[in-house]
Amino acid sequence: MEAVHGQCLVVDLPDGTATAVALPELVFASVLGGNGLASYLLYRFCPPGADPLGPENPLIFATSPFLGTGLTTSSKLALAAKSPQTERIGDSISSSYLALALKHTGFDALVIRGQARDWSVLIVEDDQVRLEPADDVLGLDPTATADALRARLGRGFRVAAIGLAGERGVRFASISNDGRLAGRTGLGAVMGQKRLKAVAVRGTRPLPSVADPAAVAAAARALAARSQGPETAKYRVLGTVANVALFNRLGVLPTRNFQAGQFEGAEELSGEHLVTTRRVDTHACAACTIGCEHHFLAKGNGAKARLEYETLYALGPLCGIADPDIVVHAAALCDRYAMDAISAGGTIAWAMECVERGIALPGDPADWPRFGDGPSLLRALNLIGQRQGPLGALLAEGSRRAAHVLGQGSEAWAMHVKGLELPGYDPRKLKTMALGLAVATRGACHNRSSAYEVDFSDQLPPDAAARARAEAAVRAEDTAAVIDSLTLCKFLRHCFDDLFAEAAHLWTLVTGLPLDADGLRQAGTRINTLKKAFNLREGWTRHEDTLPPRLLQSPDSLVDGTELDRLVAAYYAVRGWDDAGRIPLPQWRALGLEALLGPLEGVCGGYARR
Amino acid sequence: MRPASAQQPTVTVELFGVPQLLAQTRQVELSAATLHELAQQLATRLPALAGSVVDRATGWLLPGYIFVVDGRFTRDPNYQLTRGARVLLVAAQAGGM
Repeated sequence: MEAVHGQCLVVDLPDGTATAVALPELVFASVLGGNGLASYLLYRFCPPGADPLGPENPLIFATSPFLGTGLTTSSKLALAAKSPQTERIGDSISSSYLALALKHTGFDALVIRGQARDWSVLIVEDDQVRLEPADDVLGLDPTATADALRARLGRGFRVAAIGLAGERGVRFASISNDGRLAGRTGLGAVMGQKRLKAVAVRGTRPLPSVADPAAVAAAARALAARSQGPETAKYRVLGTVANVALFNRLGVLPTRNFQAGQFEGAEELSGEHLVTTRRVDTHACAACTIGCEHHFLAKGNGAKARLEYETLYALGPLCGIADPDIVVHAAALCDRYAMDAISAGGTIAWAMECVERGIALPGDPADWPRFGDGPSLLRALNLIGQRQGPLGALLAEGSRRAAHVLGQGSEAWAMHVKGLELPGYDPRKLKTMALGLAVATRGACHNRSSAYEVDFSDQLPPDAAARARAEAAVRAEDTAAVIDSLTLCKFLRHCFDDLFAEAAHLWTLVTGLPLDADGLRQAGTRINTLKKAFNLREGWTRHEDTLPPRLLQSPDSLVDGTELDRLVAAYYAVRGWDDAGRIPLPQWRALGLEALLGPLEGVCGGYARR
Repeated sequence: MRPASAQQPTVTVELFGVPQLLAQTRQVELSAATLHELAQQLATRLPALAGSVVDRATGWLLPGYIFVVDGRFTRDPNYQLTRGARVLLVAAQAGGM
């Protein structure tokens, strides 16, 4: 096949030795690349039962065949490790110039194992790997770290770095790439545990050729043109912050730790208001023609930050904060410490509800965060990012662990699935999304499920049967897996008339491997099955596929516990799994996973029903 | 295009996102029997929407936009409107990072 090197570089710390490991064509034909490749490598290189914050947990950086072909938005890096938040699969994607640099090294992926003896920077130049001390960049934010390293090593290097949150083991720490964060599931904490402040990559080798260069170039031009159409106008003109006003109008804007679905301060935080009062510039990700990134400047405090809907929701309505300048400042803090804004906001909102209910948090009561109190939100973010004091240490664990430590019934309002805090889609009024959030392999996630699209469309009637809703949720998951594995941006998805047919054709033009729409759909199914198999191997059980009790017990919820059970059962049936959510051996084989990963018994602990 | 008449129900259209910024208004009252007629009325009343949100040739929404009628998402141009209905004009892509 074309467009790949067919090998990954496995780096073993503490000495930084590197080994090239072959990635045969079967791997790409099975899992495409990107998110699928990262998931495959995690499955292969993570020992069963590994401690997420132990040296045996590998950190994976993966690219895709589309990367470097000129196809718009495809310069993305897929990362994976066992998540310190969920203890299940941790996968995240970031637009990144490092992705292209990595592909120029002659490798399709990087696998980092072990732990450095001291804080280090891992430097990869083609197939040469070395560790350098990180003393001069420790404590710096990711941007300053990248600037310092590029000044030291040369402008040709691209850098992925953690901030103080990753250094200090905040479980929802992120990895920053040129200001874009691989945000969710705590991969920054994994990198910090390895005592890696940064990974710097420079490649000088030519990119692999594509199968049909002229056709790929033409397709890239056509896709770039379509990316400028009305399907992406929302992102180009306002960005994802456009969601705030609409979601509030629809009653699905989670407010004060999901105590409500509408926020009285939504107007001040609306995208329509922000772009006319505080936007200072817009940017595009690496190799992107859409340009959805909008930067905002806070009045008064001088903070500047890129705002996305999820950041705005988690640091605004979820915490009862209506002051946009506070939210911009809070978002800038999350970027500076490099930590996931959704989990940070979700954990602080949990703490705010504790205070509201009169439950004492550790530390100085003057530091306790309170709903609607902007300065207390900023104080809490600083305590978490620095893991400072007993309150910072508690909240750095995330809402699930913090609630377990604090007790006093506070688990009831820890709003997470599998330990990952919920994104800004209130599932009480979004029935398909409720199912998607419950079953997503990485925990409460809108990017791996995107089942909200079903609820925000006319795909299904309100009284659709559980089976139809489950089929829609499965389609949404498999679509997301395909897009994430081709490393295309999801904002392109409506630019295709027939995503699977057209993307399969692109695949063939790029790689030379035959693929049709059904084959691409099956690849999405295979990737999600692989992720589920990882979770099963790590101890997943049926009871994890649920939602926080608050969402199932609200009088206005479309989904109670019984209905969710019905939906989850239908989802397993559509997936072809058994009643307990396990993967039957015939399906493992039919999807080609036995050929890829070996016998089910050997890799999955014999959970399958024969 | 059928002219608005007293027989056609009056509905309130709320604009969100790009349509709101283009039209420089949040809400407008119009009379239309179907969503197709409503889209045509919108392009007439708010010319900034013509060509960018409403297709000039067909008078229907361009890809990327959808109506929400009394809480239900729809791109059915024949959807029958009732008096007093609340119609939202929104981007079809609801997702975000």
